[in-house]
Amino acid sequence: MCPEVPPLKILVTVKLVPDTNADKRIDPATKRLVRTGVETVLNPFDEYAIEAALQLKEKLNDGSTVTIVSMTPVSGKEIVRKALAMGADDAVMLSDDAVAGSDLWGTAVALAATIKAQSPDLVITGTQSTDAISGDLPGMLAEKLGYPGLTYARKLEVDGGRVRVQRETETGYMTISAALPAVVSVTKSANEPRYPSLKGIMGAKKKEIKQLAVADLGLTVAVGTDGAKAQLTDLATPPARAKGQVIQAPDPAEGAKAIVQFLKDRKFL
Amino acid sequence: MKNVIAFIEHKHGTIRRSSLEAATQARALADQLGGKAHAVVAGDGAQQAAATLKKYPLDQIHVSDEDRFIDGAVDAVEFVAKAAGPSLVLVGNTMIGRDVGSRFAARVDCGVNADVVEFKTEGGEVSCVMPKLGGLVITTCKLTGSDYGVAAIRPNVFAAKETSGAGEIVQIASSGKASTVTVEDEVDEAAAELGVEEASVVVSGGRGMGGPEPFTTILKDLAEAFGGAVGASRAAVDAGWVSHGHQVGQTGKTISPQLYIAVGISGAIQHKVGMRTSETIVAINKDGNAPIAEFADLLVAGDAFAIVPELTKLVRDAKAVHA
Repeated sequence: MCPEVPPLKILVTVKLVPDTNADKRIDPATKRLVRTGVETVLNPFDEYAIEAALQLKEKLNDGSTVTIVSMTPVSGKEIVRKALAMGADDAVMLSDDAVAGSDLWGTAVALAATIKAQSPDLVITGTQSTDAISGDLPGMLAEKLGYPGLTYARKLEVDGGRVRVQRETETGYMTISAALPAVVSVTKSANEPRYPSLKGIMGAKKKEIKQLAVADLGLTVAVGTDGAKAQLTDLATPPARAKGQVIQAPDPAEGAKAIVQFLKDRKFL
Repeated sequence: MKNVIAFIEHKHGTIRRSSLEAATQARALADQLGGKAHAVVAGDGAQQAAATLKKYPLDQIHVSDEDRFIDGAVDAVEFVAKAAGPSLVLVGNTMIGRDVGSRFAARVDCGVNADVVEFKTEGGEVSCVMPKLGGLVITTCKLTGSDYGVAAIRPNVFAAKETSGAGEIVQIASSGKASTVTVEDEVDEAAAELGVEEASVVVSGGRGMGGPEPFTTILKDLAEAFGGAVGASRAAVDAGWVSHGHQVGQTGKTISPQLYIAVGISGAIQHKVGMRTSETIVAINKDGNAPIAEFADLLVAGDAFAIVPELTKLVRDAKAVHA
């Protein structure tokens, strides 16, 4: 007989980002991303985290739950609801002007406090966001929460109060494990995120989205723009790449020769 | 900030190139800040790595023999940083480097700048220049509000130079702590190869490759002729032709090699943001009007399956002449 293991409370962090294909801009005055006129979407990397959580919940099938956590303005509510439509049970949003403009450190502090208040067994994140592309938040959350951090997981399983993952490496993988509660970031190789079903979309309208403010978290340090420890001082648009030369090469040998000549001119050969 | 501490990533004693770049850059920044250049290396093979670091211009090389995966490395960096005083910690922007840098930053409550391509120092303050939003904007962020700061440097941007360094090797005493994470095994599925982030030449294939085979034949051959790495577009990865580690683009890696050769890649924004900061871009595509024509330095329109092997042959010949 296996010992009775209580159901898990699984948390998934999600970020709202400008659409991958949108022409993103930064406002020179506020030095923040201009979000008007640009569609906001769930960070594509976070969809793998949601899917991993849902698959784990379905596999455990013991009353374990999936809660979405997001630090986002109130306007992000309908996008958070998309995560609920995929099958998550409920959501918690930290929506407060005091966290606007937070750097990585401030985000980690505020998000960790939000997560801690939910007393999770397992926190699942994506590996990075498509706007900041730092990949630093999972490690920072693990540290701030005091949980083991198992990052870059392409496979994840929970058994007997431990989480075991296959961590991607440059040449293969490592199998690493730790006691719960823990933070796990999952890679794109982990799964194929599902699309919300019609039933899921309808059901999501009734699911609870709890809204928290900084005052609810008992934070003792300033986050947001003023508390940032990496302060944006300048932003510039890089010079556009000029359109280069186009050569039609019906004869492959001529095409190859043209490339070699080009590479010689540029001292690559 | 005054001192600079390079975290050294290695595999059983063999140091990653991005860490040698960090070690070299540590000296340059320490000189600008008027402090010392340190390196920290931990885990199985640390002594061997330290011996290699003797060839780099460091003041002190701190060695921890504790093999506690990320935990041991973060503890070692913290130990050295606390002893050194106000310091900038440099890590490579790699999976391990990010984990160590981010955990250290959270632990000591300092700022962290990711994917740094340039440093600016003024009056003891350090600012980092980083392309964001896939290279659409270049941001500069000052590390402030703490005695410490972390910068994850983009591989292949800063030089790694051996000099007549003679850093003093300093042993870090064992902490006796247990690791929170257990490493159960490590499996190599592919031969150790240069990653797309670190290669100076990257040959990438896209949807136009039509299947997995070209990635292990014609593209690989061309990459090898340059001593480079094979990359891929999202379409090729999503089709299962090549593993995600090779993906260049928005949901893959953002790279800036000296030479990027895109084969059968149309150049959608998804891909463009991952490679637009390459120094030189050459495209081979059947369609001369593909979007990639707008930002490639040279586009050759023709049959990639015939052009690539011919090109490989000519590149090998040209290299043989110089050899």
